[in-house]
Amino acid sequence: MSLKRRRSPVTMLRRLTQVAAVALFVGLLLFAGPASAERPSAWLGLFFYTDPLILFVTMLAAREILPLFLPSLAVLVVTVVLGRVYCGWLCPFGAVHAIVGWIADRSYPRKKPDVWSRWQLAKYVVLFSLMCAAVFGVSWLMPLDPNVIFYRTTATALWPAAQGASESAVALIHESDPRLAEWRLTALTEPIHDAVREHVIGKPHQSFLGGGIIGAVFILAVTLNVWRRRFWCRYICPLGGLLGLFAWRPWLRRAVADGACSECRICGITCHGAATDSGGRGWRPQECLGCLNCLETCPNGSVGVRLSWLGRPADRDRSIDLRRRHLLGAGLAGVAGATVLRLSPQARGAAFSPDLIRPPGAREERDFLARCTGCALCMKICPTGALQPTLAEAGIEGIWTPRLVPRLGYCDYECNRCGQACPTRAIQPLSLEEKKEVRIGLAMIDRSRCIPFALDRECLVCEEHCPVPDKAIFLKSVAVQMRDESMQTLRQPHVDPVQCIGCGICENVCPFRDTPAIRVTSAGETRHPDNQPMLA
Amino acid sequence: MSTDSNASRREFLIRSISLCGAAALSNPRVMTLASGPASPPPLPEMAIARAGASGEVTSSVASRLTESAIAGLGGMQRFVSRGDVVWIKPNIGWNRKPELAANTHPDVVSTLVRLCMDAGAKSVKVGDYTCNDARQSYENSGIGPAAKAAGARVVFLEKDRFKKMAIGGERLKSHPVYPEIVECDLVVNVPVCKHHSATTVTLCMKNYMGVVEKRRIFHQDLSTTIADITRFMKPRLCVLDATRILTAHGPTGGNIEDVKVLNTVAAGTDIVALDAFGCELLGHKAAEISTVARGAEYGLGRVDYRSLMLRELQLP
Repeated sequence: MSLKRRRSPVTMLRRLTQVAAVALFVGLLLFAGPASAERPSAWLGLFFYTDPLILFVTMLAAREILPLFLPSLAVLVVTVVLGRVYCGWLCPFGAVHAIVGWIADRSYPRKKPDVWSRWQLAKYVVLFSLMCAAVFGVSWLMPLDPNVIFYRTTATALWPAAQGASESAVALIHESDPRLAEWRLTALTEPIHDAVREHVIGKPHQSFLGGGIIGAVFILAVTLNVWRRRFWCRYICPLGGLLGLFAWRPWLRRAVADGACSECRICGITCHGAATDSGGRGWRPQECLGCLNCLETCPNGSVGVRLSWLGRPADRDRSIDLRRRHLLGAGLAGVAGATVLRLSPQARGAAFSPDLIRPPGAREERDFLARCTGCALCMKICPTGALQPTLAEAGIEGIWTPRLVPRLGYCDYECNRCGQACPTRAIQPLSLEEKKEVRIGLAMIDRSRCIPFALDRECLVCEEHCPVPDKAIFLKSVAVQMRDESMQTLRQPHVDPVQCIGCGICENVCPFRDTPAIRVTSAGETRHPDNQPMLA
Repeated sequence: MSTDSNASRREFLIRSISLCGAAALSNPRVMTLASGPASPPPLPEMAIARAGASGEVTSSVASRLTESAIAGLGGMQRFVSRGDVVWIKPNIGWNRKPELAANTHPDVVSTLVRLCMDAGAKSVKVGDYTCNDARQSYENSGIGPAAKAAGARVVFLEKDRFKKMAIGGERLKSHPVYPEIVECDLVVNVPVCKHHSATTVTLCMKNYMGVVEKRRIFHQDLSTTIADITRFMKPRLCVLDATRILTAHGPTGGNIEDVKVLNTVAAGTDIVALDAFGCELLGHKAAEISTVARGAEYGLGRVDYRSLMLRELQLP
């Protein structure tokens, strides 16, 4: 079956809009790269601020309406009028699925139309579970919100891969220095590299722990398009489900000219949302992504759109069959999920993970997790690459949320960008003066490894780098008997627990790279009064 | 001669011709030799420029001090020939504001850039292997923007471009050094004068830590490794920025109370002498500072800077 498609300007416009949305999304992400003295732009979070799912879930979980997210209500208004055009035209993650589906169409053309399946109700179940869990304070947007997934994946997996490839290529060309007579290839590559390094790259040679897993989840979600086009959007996406609820009776509706439909089913082949039954009947506005492909592919030209102010469904139209028991089941699943996620002692505040060093300004863990979406904007914007996605350190509830890993980076004393950039204020926006007072952990010296203690030599690299103006690491001079029985004075480092803010630079620069001889744990973090070992 | 990757053939030819000419004409030693059999007047080995310490370092004072110190040595033409590629190596170790004296003063750096350009340098590069994040340190220290405005190329050092080189030192037999710096015709070493916890002071010699990788192992024997790397770098021109000095809690600082304004810039060809002078500014006896003593042992210069051909200049 070959499809005759009239290239209609409106679908071309849609594709252009989708490509522009992806370009803007990635552009804003790369714009977050280079650290500068200026405050991070508020535009960095644009795609989050227009995401009503984050607004609602955070509102329920944190019991606070985030003013920055109010623009997302405009998306709901648009949905009420035009249906799920957000999904079909604007959502960057949706656009990625559309592009992959488009490629799949060209590689493996479909023979049968995709028709409405009851499994598409799953996304509403996901949505209700998510909302019910949020009522109990669990916000599990990390693996479920499309903007969050796409941002995190791009920031921690796709872009680092692209950056690494570019860096390797530049290094290879610089090393081998290929030339054609007088002309050198480096004359081309070096200026480009300099410009990219100055304007795009956040941290050279950046990589993220578990970036491979994040990338694999993304690749899986995208590959499912080969089986069912826009699998994620049809079956899973809770944002799509939320918008579907608002598209119950959109003013703009599909219209089929009376008696003109030959029930050839061709419209179903290119339908992004699988919104109809077989034979083009039973159009469901909640499932229609407004892609308008049906206008283009109908061989009789009998499909159109009409504006119906009263929103009265046509005889051929249907509604999704969302039953009370679906919602009840979803609600129970959400409550059960929230309970299970909270079973661990750590989630109940009875234990503190030493490796869970949160960025400065992060709220108390419960409140933090109620807001943090795991979008990875803070990880992208951290100039030292210290902020890394968790895997298990914060439990399954807190998967892919930020933690500071001193071995990979440190919290720069003169930087407060993560808090300034955090879209949901899970990390509070502190002034630089306030941030310098916040303790995120405490450094402890491991005397069995520290060179002046264990190996009788000078070192002091940690003390040298300590950024606290009065130095949180101080030195004690000790007379030590050496192997040849001579006496030598050695200076040994000690941590002042009152001064140390836990920034982690000492651990980062310790000559021991495998297990540093000075290590920072979350002990003493300002946000948790129960995690304070020292008398103030 | 340097190998600059951006040189076109035309530039190359012009440069080759002008280099020959410049070598014959602009080098004062060559000039005096050519003008007659009389022995050339000895050139100063060190110059100290001072201005009244007014409590702050203004941009124009920092700039005039640098100009005077270089002029006191006989001008930048003495070190820079037409077409040279110059690397200016300030201390940009830390993400700190200029007034905290953790990094070299930006106006000292930008003035040196201008002097090198005026002396005919083909290109002037400015860069350091920073301790904190390079981009933030370059920007917050003011050195990046100032050097750029003065016409320098601000270079970020790439971790994967350090090359193991034969150092031939006592501790360091071979060590990764940044090739782009070594390949320059001239490296101007321009540290800030400050306190350092491990070495008591950090001055010109220690500033060479910023051209090598894997330096955190140096701390187990800093004075020897620093002397090794200094000898390897063959210092020709050092400029010690003491416009304001950090007297305690170095090398990072952070307390404005630890900063002392001196409005002094010293320049010289003897790195040990300059460091000895810096020790005095910080209130130490040079002979008691192990890096300076080791430098003298290595024959890199003289501790008694007053025994040198010294010019002291007082600015109004």
